[in-house]
Amino acid sequence: MTTTASAYLTGFGRYLPGPPVDNDGMAARLGGDDAVTARIRRSILQSNGIKQRHYALDEQGEPTELNEELAVKALTAALEDRGIRPTDLRMLATATTMGDVLVPGFANMVHGRLGGGPMQLLSASGVCASSMAALDAVVSKVRLGDHPRGAVVASELPSRSLRQRRYEGFRAGMDAHFLRWMLSDGAGAVVVEFQPHPTRLSLRVDWIRQVSLAHDHAVCMRAGMSGDETHVGGTWQDVAVPDAQAAGMFVLRQDVGMLDDLAQAGIAQFEELVDTGLVDVRHLDHVICHYSTNVFRDVAFDALRRRIPSLDTDRWFSNLETRGNTGSASIFIALEEAVRTGRFQPGETVLLAVPESGRFSFAFAQLTVVAPTRPQGASS
Amino acid sequence: MTSATSTVPSTADGTDPAGASLLERLGEVWLELEDHLAKVPVLQRLDDGTVTLEDYMRLLFNLRQQVIDGSLWIARAASNFDIDHFELRAAAIKHAEEEHRDHFLLEADYVALGGSRQELRAGRKNVGSEALSGYLFTYASRPNPAGLLGAMFIIEGLGARRAAQWAARFQEVLGLADNQVHFMTYHQEADGAHTGDMEAILTSGLIDEATADEIVRCAQVVARLYALQLEELDR
Repeated sequence: MTTTASAYLTGFGRYLPGPPVDNDGMAARLGGDDAVTARIRRSILQSNGIKQRHYALDEQGEPTELNEELAVKALTAALEDRGIRPTDLRMLATATTMGDVLVPGFANMVHGRLGGGPMQLLSASGVCASSMAALDAVVSKVRLGDHPRGAVVASELPSRSLRQRRYEGFRAGMDAHFLRWMLSDGAGAVVVEFQPHPTRLSLRVDWIRQVSLAHDHAVCMRAGMSGDETHVGGTWQDVAVPDAQAAGMFVLRQDVGMLDDLAQAGIAQFEELVDTGLVDVRHLDHVICHYSTNVFRDVAFDALRRRIPSLDTDRWFSNLETRGNTGSASIFIALEEAVRTGRFQPGETVLLAVPESGRFSFAFAQLTVVAPTRPQGASS
Repeated sequence: MTSATSTVPSTADGTDPAGASLLERLGEVWLELEDHLAKVPVLQRLDDGTVTLEDYMRLLFNLRQQVIDGSLWIARAASNFDIDHFELRAAAIKHAEEEHRDHFLLEADYVALGGSRQELRAGRKNVGSEALSGYLFTYASRPNPAGLLGAMFIIEGLGARRAAQWAARFQEVLGLADNQVHFMTYHQEADGAHTGDMEAILTSGLIDEATADEIVRCAQVVARLYALQLEELDR
């Protein structure tokens, strides 16, 4: 039997901890105010274009919240946005680069803190595109009819590991500094249902595609290893913790020399979506692309324009400059703001694009804006 | 009656005049049922494409309260067939066993639509279901209640001939997944098998004229009460 079952995004939430921190306030929280570090910081900030971000750190740089708390607050906002409770959820998928604890899974901790009833869980790990893996899982189960309603949350709290104490005792190169002055904290969440929102716009999920090119690329973004290759006995789990610390294994690093390749690979993946017809360039109204710096915004935008000559900057949405680069959470934090500020009209399409440097993976999704099933003012 | 034979499959070989005539009489009852179903509001909305998710969930909710009785009245009937009705007893025992988990399928659909299992289980029968269930249990308590073959003809016939059409139409109108219409689609196969078994009995020569009258009368009552159950949702 052919089924017309769909999944719709019906609720959106985000949580950004504490007040916005401008570029001058970063060092107060993260440390690293020596002349060399300050010069590197200014240089990185100039290229990434981020003007403010949020940290779950107080002014002395001490943690104020757990990652799981950020996730629960974003989820609560999404549930309130939809007008439902945690007990209405049958599935929860979480995405994060690093949870608060090593064990158990992040989703288990978030579910425990959120409450609600029995539900299916998935803890998607990875880096930025883990949010899309989590979304794909819930959307798939909803489309199968296994669950009427689920939620997805992507949450990041990298700030505590970006503080000065992590960078002492070894020479931190550009690979370590790059992310230190780029990443910040936040969480974004969506509610997924098998029916559209009764009284407001919903986003129907037309398709989600995720692909890894790890077979062809070395590690680009990493922590817990030394160098860009793993070897037996050489991960953070194999050596004494002080030795791992001294080797800078607990620092998030990115091989910045690979980022041009990453951008080109991402563009090739987009081209393939156009060639196979999944993306119809004549009917692509909005693009929300996660990228780490404005440099890649320009690269990606130029590439899109080659296929969509009529694409103008109005159809391109990003809040990187004001909300920071929150890793996996970025795409949902941007989507929430785009929905909340009324950018979308019924019938329009929205392309989500999330490149992940970790080991070269890319996720895309197409959404279609659908009108409410009942007129405004009707009760849900 | 040509329209009856087009609705109800004719006997396998047509060599048994009594069985063939019984099937024809049941075919007329089926046509009366179709007339009633055509006037049921929720089925009209299903037909014209204005049916809502709430309609479908209410329908499942109402059906469930009577479906849980299905294997019970069949089992009670089985216990009232004496040794001279051994074949009917065997058929009823088998049928009761096959039916007695059906409500779990319906529950799973209801939960997959976002409904509460607790609320579904706490529901009460509507006035049509009360009448239908009461009639079936009373009938099943008689000695040798062979007339209930008429009830099965109607109920299994709905499952075999109509439920899958309803399921496909609910899917089409509401955008539902297969896992949300499992109860109705399952019955196409299961009840199709049951109606095959039953038609074998109806045409086997085991049914005398008096029993045939009872079967037809029971089918008429059940057809009317089943339609009433669909008309009286939540009442």
